[in-house]
Amino acid sequence: MPWKLLLRNVLGHRLRSALTVLSVAVAVFLICVLHAVTSGLARTLDASAANRLLVQSAVSLYVDLPLSYQQKMAAVPGIEAICKWQWFGGRYEQDKGGFFAQFGIDADTFLRSYPEMSIAAGRYEDFAGQRTACIVGQQLADKYGWRVGQTVPITGTIFTRTDGRPWEFTVQAIYQSRSPSFDEQQMFFHYDYLHESLQQGGAVGPDGVGVYMLRLGPGTDPLAVQQAVDAMFENGPQRVQTTTEAEFNRQFITMLGDVPALLRMVGGAVLFAIFFAVLNTMIMAGRERTRDLGVLKALGFTDATAAGLLVGEALLLCGLGAALGGLLGLAIERPMQAVTAAFLPGFGFDGSTLLLGAGIALAVGVISGLVPGLRAARLTTVQALREVG
Amino acid sequence: MAAAIAIHSVTKTYHRGGESLRVLDDLELQMEAGTFYALMGPSGSGKTTLLNLVGGLDHADAGRVVVGDTDLTSLDGSELARWRAAHVGFVFQGFNLLPVLTARENVELPLLLAPLSKAQRREQAERALALVGLGDRMDHKPRELSGGQEQRVAIARAIATDPQVILADEPTGDLDRTTADAVLDLLQRLNRELNKTILMVTHDPQAAGFADQVIHLDKGKLGRIDRNERPAGARRV
Repeated sequence: MPWKLLLRNVLGHRLRSALTVLSVAVAVFLICVLHAVTSGLARTLDASAANRLLVQSAVSLYVDLPLSYQQKMAAVPGIEAICKWQWFGGRYEQDKGGFFAQFGIDADTFLRSYPEMSIAAGRYEDFAGQRTACIVGQQLADKYGWRVGQTVPITGTIFTRTDGRPWEFTVQAIYQSRSPSFDEQQMFFHYDYLHESLQQGGAVGPDGVGVYMLRLGPGTDPLAVQQAVDAMFENGPQRVQTTTEAEFNRQFITMLGDVPALLRMVGGAVLFAIFFAVLNTMIMAGRERTRDLGVLKALGFTDATAAGLLVGEALLLCGLGAALGGLLGLAIERPMQAVTAAFLPGFGFDGSTLLLGAGIALAVGVISGLVPGLRAARLTTVQALREVG
Repeated sequence: MAAAIAIHSVTKTYHRGGESLRVLDDLELQMEAGTFYALMGPSGSGKTTLLNLVGGLDHADAGRVVVGDTDLTSLDGSELARWRAAHVGFVFQGFNLLPVLTARENVELPLLLAPLSKAQRREQAERALALVGLGDRMDHKPRELSGGQEQRVAIARAIATDPQVILADEPTGDLDRTTADAVLDLLQRLNRELNKTILMVTHDPQAAGFADQVIHLDKGKLGRIDRNERPAGARRV
C-alpha cells in the first residue's frame, strides 16, 4: 500500500479534509454526548437500591398523600423504616439562574436508609438535633461556597411564610454520595419543621407528603410489600402507587416522554447526516482520482490497492474526526457533569461511549470509502485511463 | 534476433450501444527484442488497443499475446498486474504523474512493488531521474515542472524497474516540436544504450522517424512495416 500517497491525497485538499474531519468530530462528539446521557440515565436506574420502595399518589406525583398513611404502612410486615419526602420547590435568594432541589425529610430514618451518603463535613447528629437545620450535598456547598454553620435563606414558592420573609436553614452537615442515583446538589431539612410551621400558621401551603420511602428489611419480598401497601389504600381516601426506586426513577425520567428513544433518534439523524457528508467527500475524491488509480493499476498495483487507497483515506479522515470528537467530549465531561448533576447524576464518558464514537467513525469511514473504492476496483485500467483522456 | 513480442491471430472487438466494432482482426505480428518500433495508422486502426494488449492492460478476444516468454492471454487480472510491475514500463501522452507526489516519489511508485528496501528504492529512483537528466529536479512536484520535464519523469518511472519493454502512447502528443524531439531522443537512447524494446504509438511521422521500424495498422490489420535508415551518428553507445 503506497501510504505516502494516501497521506498526500488527504493533505492535497487541506480545506476539504479539514472540513470533513471537523464534521466527523462534531458528529462523534454529539453522538458521544447523547450516548453519555442515555447511559447516564441507565446508570442512575441501575444504581437504584433494591430494598427501597416509593409510595406516591396513584393520581399523580403532584398530589400529596395524607400524613396518617405513615402509621398505617408501618404495620406492613417487612417494612423496616419509613421516610417522608416533601418537595419544597424554593429559590435560593442569591441564585440568579440556577436551581437545586430541596426536600423535607425525616431525619431519624433518612441517613440509615441511604447508605450511599457519607458525611463529609459537620455532624449528622447536629442536623438531626436542630429544628431549622439542613444537610446539603458537597457539590451544592461548593457551588455556593456554603460552610457548616452558615444560614441559607430560601424563598418558598409552594410553601410561603406568612411574615413574608424567606425560610432560613442552617447548614449543619455536608454529605457526599457514592451512587449516581443520589446526587450532591440537593438540600434536605426537617419535614417536621415545615409541618409545624403550616400547623401553627407560620406558613401556608399543602400539608401532606409527596412521597413515602419504605426501607425493607433483609429478605423481604418487595412485590409482596408493594401489593400490601397498594391494597391497604385501595378504597381511599387517596389511592397509592408503590414502586421500586428504579421504577420510580424511570417514571420520573420519562415524565417528559421517552427520553432515551428521543436521544437515540437524534443520534441516528446525526449519524446519517455525517455518513452522507463523508460519502459525498469520498465520491468526489474517487472521481478526481480515477486517472491516478488507472496509472497505479497500469504500474502493477492491484484493484484491492486502488480500493484500499480510498477506504484508507476515508478511515484516516474519520479516525482523525473521531479522535478530535472524543477529545472534545473528554474535555467537556467535567463541566457537563457539574451542569447535569442535579437531574442526571450518572452523566459521564466511559469506555463504551468512546468505543461507540470510534466504532461509528470506523463504520462511516469503511462504508463511505468502499462505495468509491469498489467502483475504482471494478474499473479496468483502460477505462480508468480513458475516463479523463 | 529473438522475438520480444509475438502477436498470434489476435482479435479484439468492442461492443458499444448494441454495435460491435472489431478493432483488431486476426492480427499476426512479431517484434524483435531491443528494437524501437513506432506504431502508426489512422484513428480507430487499433494502435492503442494493440498497445494495451501488449502491456497486459486488456485481454484479447481470441489469439495469443506473448511478451518475452510469458503468454499474457493465460494470466488473470492479478497475475497480469504482477507481470506489468516487473516487465513493462508505460509512458502516456498526458504524462500521468501523480500531482501530490514529487518527481522522485512518482518514480519510486512502481518500485514499491519490488522487493527493495527504502534506501534501495530511493537510490534506484534517483538513478533513473539522473539518467533522464532530472537529477536536480527530484523534489519538485509535477506542477513545478515543464511539459518536457514531466514526460522525462514519466520515462524515468517507466524505466525505474528496468523492464524489458517500454510502451509509449503518443508520448509527444502534448509537447512542442523541440521538446518532443528531446523526449524522442531520450527514448532512442534508452533503446540503443540500454537495449530496451520500445513500442510507441504515434500519429507524427517525424516522431516515427526516431524508431527503427514503423508498423502501419489499418482497420485492425497489419498494413506494412517500414525500416528506417539509422544515421551513423544516431547510435551513441
